[in-house]
Amino acid sequence: MMIVSRSMRASLAGLLLACSPIVLSQAMAKDQLVVDLVNEPSSLDPHKQWNPDSYYVYRNIFDNLVTRDDAGAIAPQIATEWKYSSDSEIVFTIRSDVKFHDGTPLTAKDVAFSVNRIIDKKFASPQLGQFNKILSAEATGEHEVTLKTDGAYPVLLAQLVKLSIVPQHVVEEKGNDGFNAAPVGSGPYKFTSWQRGVSVSLARNDDYWGEKGVFPTAEFRAVPDAATRIANLEAGASDLVVGLDADLSEQLKSSGAAKPLSVLTERIGYVKLNPNLPPFNDKRVREAVARSIDKQGIVDGLLGGVDKPLDQMATSAHFGYVEGLKGYPYDLDEAKRLIKEAGAAGKSVAFATSPTFDQRIVQAVAQMISDTGLTVNIEMTDMATYLKKAQSAPASQPSISFGRWSCACQDVDGVLFSLLHSSSAWASIADPKIDKLLEDARNTLDEKKRLEAYKTVSTYVVEEVPMVPIYQAAIIYGAAKNLEWQPTANESLFLNRMKWTD
Amino acid sequence: MPAFFLKRAFQALIAIIGVMTLIFFLQRLAGDPVLLLVPENATKADIEALRASLGFDRPLSVQYLEYMGALLTFDFGRSYVQNVPVWTLIASRLPYTLMLAGGALVVAFGVGIPLGVAMAVRRGSADAKAMMGVVLAGQSMPTFWSAILMIMVFAVWLGWLPPSGARDWPSIIMPSIALGLLSMATFARVSRTAVLDELEKDYVRTGHAKGLPMIRIVMRHLLRNAAIPVVTVAALEIANLLAGAVIVETVFAWPGLGQLTVQAINARDFMLVQGVVLLGAITAIVLNLVADLLYSIIDPRIRIEGSA
Repeated sequence: MMIVSRSMRASLAGLLLACSPIVLSQAMAKDQLVVDLVNEPSSLDPHKQWNPDSYYVYRNIFDNLVTRDDAGAIAPQIATEWKYSSDSEIVFTIRSDVKFHDGTPLTAKDVAFSVNRIIDKKFASPQLGQFNKILSAEATGEHEVTLKTDGAYPVLLAQLVKLSIVPQHVVEEKGNDGFNAAPVGSGPYKFTSWQRGVSVSLARNDDYWGEKGVFPTAEFRAVPDAATRIANLEAGASDLVVGLDADLSEQLKSSGAAKPLSVLTERIGYVKLNPNLPPFNDKRVREAVARSIDKQGIVDGLLGGVDKPLDQMATSAHFGYVEGLKGYPYDLDEAKRLIKEAGAAGKSVAFATSPTFDQRIVQAVAQMISDTGLTVNIEMTDMATYLKKAQSAPASQPSISFGRWSCACQDVDGVLFSLLHSSSAWASIADPKIDKLLEDARNTLDEKKRLEAYKTVSTYVVEEVPMVPIYQAAIIYGAAKNLEWQPTANESLFLNRMKWTD
Repeated sequence: MPAFFLKRAFQALIAIIGVMTLIFFLQRLAGDPVLLLVPENATKADIEALRASLGFDRPLSVQYLEYMGALLTFDFGRSYVQNVPVWTLIASRLPYTLMLAGGALVVAFGVGIPLGVAMAVRRGSADAKAMMGVVLAGQSMPTFWSAILMIMVFAVWLGWLPPSGARDWPSIIMPSIALGLLSMATFARVSRTAVLDELEKDYVRTGHAKGLPMIRIVMRHLLRNAAIPVVTVAALEIANLLAGAVIVETVFAWPGLGQLTVQAINARDFMLVQGVVLLGAITAIVLNLVADLLYSIIDPRIRIEGSA
């Protein structure tokens, strides 16, 4: 109890003492960049929780073996080069001039430690699913690390973009909790403080080996309400805010102080159909759904025109995107005819969704499907229940479920394998032919073979309609007029890629 | 007196055990948070592995006994999502909740009670009706609307106050007013009724007969007698304020318990929800006890049951 009251008193005193008269005026040079997130990070230990509010912050504190440049191509970071010594073994050469924020050099041992930490079952990282094809990492030289994978694994580099390199000595000294509370990395910004529930403060790493940030400090704040984030931006209390929709973006366009910034991401809005249940066991009914959804109408009417209609479960940001593949065109009359022909008119179908998704889109899609003659019942549950339903045994999955998918790897393996392979909890089909294609594409480094396999699978999706891709989602940020920044498809906020003009 | 306390403590214990049992099982009716924690392309095996390592694969009765056992040693468990002890999270938010509740109470008491008394004393007059209008407005404006309106006016247009956050003392002004308005209306109405009741009493007439000015009768004699219903309402209102003001905290990005609770519920962070509920239950019980004790101090004619 003693500790409790003391910490409480300390916080109280802290807030009361910090009561100097406020000065909201802007300093001459931009000495601090303030970013408003939705929530505070769940974790600053990059090997624990993987969610946007966490990685927006910690990806600035840590480096990865490889990264993606603004154009989305894999680029060297801690690793300068890499080469496969066999299909399942890859050797990375590590930069020799990288120092952690505490001054100790980053070594091959730290890299191996980081990989082995996240794949350790006992560590129980929720991110394990992204790295479980890695068997081991070993420092095989002063500046050399060798990774072994379970067979050939073409998505390895795309996944390593997200594996932060942590200092072995700090983690071992401070323990997991201590490291989460005060993380030490090698990235362009270093951690200074975390005021729980309020903000995380970072300071520029002046010894950074790569491109340094222009802002001496940065603060990431938790501001759950989107209207408040906009008000902060307009009042000049923040410089960059996340999580805006098309309406708020419009509002910013007329503002004198701020502007919307948007970019197409690798996130795909889609509906999954359940071919195990009537009426969707009839291909004609599935095709009718595909023809009933006016994708362009949704994008223009609801999403503000920044998103992009999709014909396949991939975007041009993905490896495996099939150029020129077209789905069934929007044709309501044909859809109605198909429903009538299949005798499905008036049949009820459950449409699972959750409040996390944009309800306007869900409502619109449900309405469009019901225009064909089907009776659509929207079943809204909290996210956890929705996930449980969407990932239950194929026959008990909902007839229709809305989803927004991102594997954060820009490789269709992360989309198609999870949604279609019979071993995955999401799959509502079990087709040995499709399983084989997905496995083959996952287990070879031959890009041509992979592209071929994905082309067959994507064509199957278009023709058989186990799901209907709807749009490639854009992400919209609000930024102060003076901020210059090109957002990227992988939804990261790299501070050292932002500039300020006066 | 000791008998009274023993009895109340025993009742409190039963209530707390009941609340904790209820919240423990209610939350788990709908499953566990594992699917929310893993990335989208996790395999069934990954999901099962995480479930096992978090202990959700064990029978509910085992998990329940383990949790209640830990509670006895003041161990509130760890947040599954944030990987820190629940108590650390609650302790970091509690000061902000206390500050906001305090600020709101200042607004509610400071405005509500004088308003209520004035409305009663000047009953029927035009200014009393105008004051009633203010009270009604305070009660009927939805907080999410009045809060964002205040931000637009005082932060964005006038630039007098910070729009949101908890950086320095001006940042508590708007949340306190937004949250206090609701309670203010309640206090005004309750104190108006209480004062009206008292105005009929003999001692007020005696005061008038003695030639005392009205203000003196109210301040010296009447307020104390009218305080009992106000104290009862105050205990309930304070418990409400401490339980966290979800909407005000969300709009103003105020890092109190209400925001934490909503996030915990959405993320199915069971341990954290349980910790907040436990705190809420204890607060409500303690405040009611305090109210009971206050009655006998304010009005010595009221005796505490069992203390004869």
